[in-house]
Amino acid sequence: MTNERDEVHPFEGRVDSPYWDGLGAGELRIQRCQRCERWSWPADWRCPACGGYEFRWERVEPVGRVYSWIRSHLPFVAAYADLVPYVNVLVELPQAGNARIMGLLTGDEDGIRIGAPLTGEFRPASPRTADLPVLTWSIDARAAA
Amino acid sequence: MTPRGVAAVGYGTTPYYKRGTSPHAERKLLLMAIDDAAAMAGIDPADIDGFVSYGADQQDGPRLTGPLGTRELRWSSLVWGGGGGGSAGAIAQAEAAILSGQAETVVVYRATAESTSGRLSSAVIQGVFGVQYRAHGIDAPAQALGLRTQRLLEADGVPASALKAVAQASYHHAGRTPHAVGRDVRLTDEAYDDARLIAEPVRLFDSSRENDAAAAIIFTSAERARDLTSTPVHLLGSAYGALGPRWGELDENHEPYAASSQAAPAHRVWKRTGLTAADVDVVQLYVNFTGPPVSALIDLGFCTADTAGEVLTFENLIAPSGSLPINTSGGDLAEGFLHGMGNAVEAVRQLRGESYNPVPDARVCLVAGGPISELSSVALFSTEPPA
Ligand SMILES: [Zn+2]
Repeated sequence: MTNERDEVHPFEGRVDSPYWDGLGAGELRIQRCQRCERWSWPADWRCPACGGYEFRWERVEPVGRVYSWIRSHLPFVAAYADLVPYVNVLVELPQAGNARIMGLLTGDEDGIRIGAPLTGEFRPASPRTADLPVLTWSIDARAAA
Repeated sequence: MTPRGVAAVGYGTTPYYKRGTSPHAERKLLLMAIDDAAAMAGIDPADIDGFVSYGADQQDGPRLTGPLGTRELRWSSLVWGGGGGGSAGAIAQAEAAILSGQAETVVVYRATAESTSGRLSSAVIQGVFGVQYRAHGIDAPAQALGLRTQRLLEADGVPASALKAVAQASYHHAGRTPHAVGRDVRLTDEAYDDARLIAEPVRLFDSSRENDAAAAIIFTSAERARDLTSTPVHLLGSAYGALGPRWGELDENHEPYAASSQAAPAHRVWKRTGLTAADVDVVQLYVNFTGPPVSALIDLGFCTADTAGEVLTFENLIAPSGSLPINTSGGDLAEGFLHGMGNAVEAVRQLRGESYNPVPDARVCLVAGGPISELSSVALFSTEPPA
């Protein structure tokens, strides 16, 4: 779990700042070690595999599969209160070393299950999303079929 | 003389008040709990020379020395990180202090009163989840633990009946425990199944709710404990930590994902004591939600994901007749939630023969601080000193 130590000011000083920049530009970018090519997620300053401090941000397709999911029935986040009940997915990205990122599920919820294929959609920053651009996810019915 | 063992000689708890309704300030609650523990131990509170807590508790040792009249402060420490996962880790720090000779009489404690400190869970989780969670509508332990519990059920194949059994056993024990907040709840199948969903798969009765309360346990050397009480509760071993390389604050990228992180401290405690799960008579589990204790029992070796359904039944989990009695005071769900501190108190209470749900001939009790957090902890108590 992250916590307020996760809060860095200015925002550009965050280790995952390029991730959010990418979403704003309509790209999903995941951190990768320059030296040993290990996918690094969540983003951090040091590669635990090789000890390197040099990273690049690699563009990957915004598709994945459900690693886990929940349906929230309480307004845990005020800005999401009007969506209750809503489904969150923990999305596994096989094309990025099985990195896992969180997101909101939109559209049909019927096929929600672990392993279900997902397609991401880039959404602009809004008050709901803590003024950050995000990916939301929908179950890819064709791939699921 | 270097101490060779550590024992609990007294405990104290305030009532579990509904959150926000404590008639006393947080530090006053804690001082009263420490007074009760000292009275049971037969010692002067001023002789306590070590102080240990966990999970961002705000009542550090130096704040307590004034009102306690502490003669000499020799140890003051906090388990750093992991929230309630450090609950038994605080016991490990007390053990380290006593066995090393740094301190002689150490109190392990937890206190929270919302009016004083704000909701302590906020302190435990350091205020908020990071933006990788919040931007998507996730900002509560029920949600993060819900994700992990869903995986436990759907991918690992643990039946939901195991979660229900943990809840029903907890409320069953609370029903016989006069001070338990859940003493009047009869958690029938219907009541459990029909309760509202919080963060599916987590239902109302799968979820703990914080109380205003304080609890304290006083530890000293086993040698001195024998002079103080006829019922010392011996600490056979304790440990805290996590097993890498994929544990830490990893925004749901830790592995194994649905594990409790009990494996590392459990392994060390089993190795040190030469005991296994089969030697344990009663278990006090950390039940922030009902998924984590099931993960903990798997990590501790009491069952596997495959056998969880047959082992974790209501009949097995209750005293006095069950083979694996858990949370004999009602625990975090139904006695009251003080971020796991009540579990260690009940372990000592049980082994002193003072539990309202006594386990016949109980000699060994395990306390698990394993809420599926970045760090977790184990303490193993016995009526007998280590062999
Ligand atoms: Zn590397």
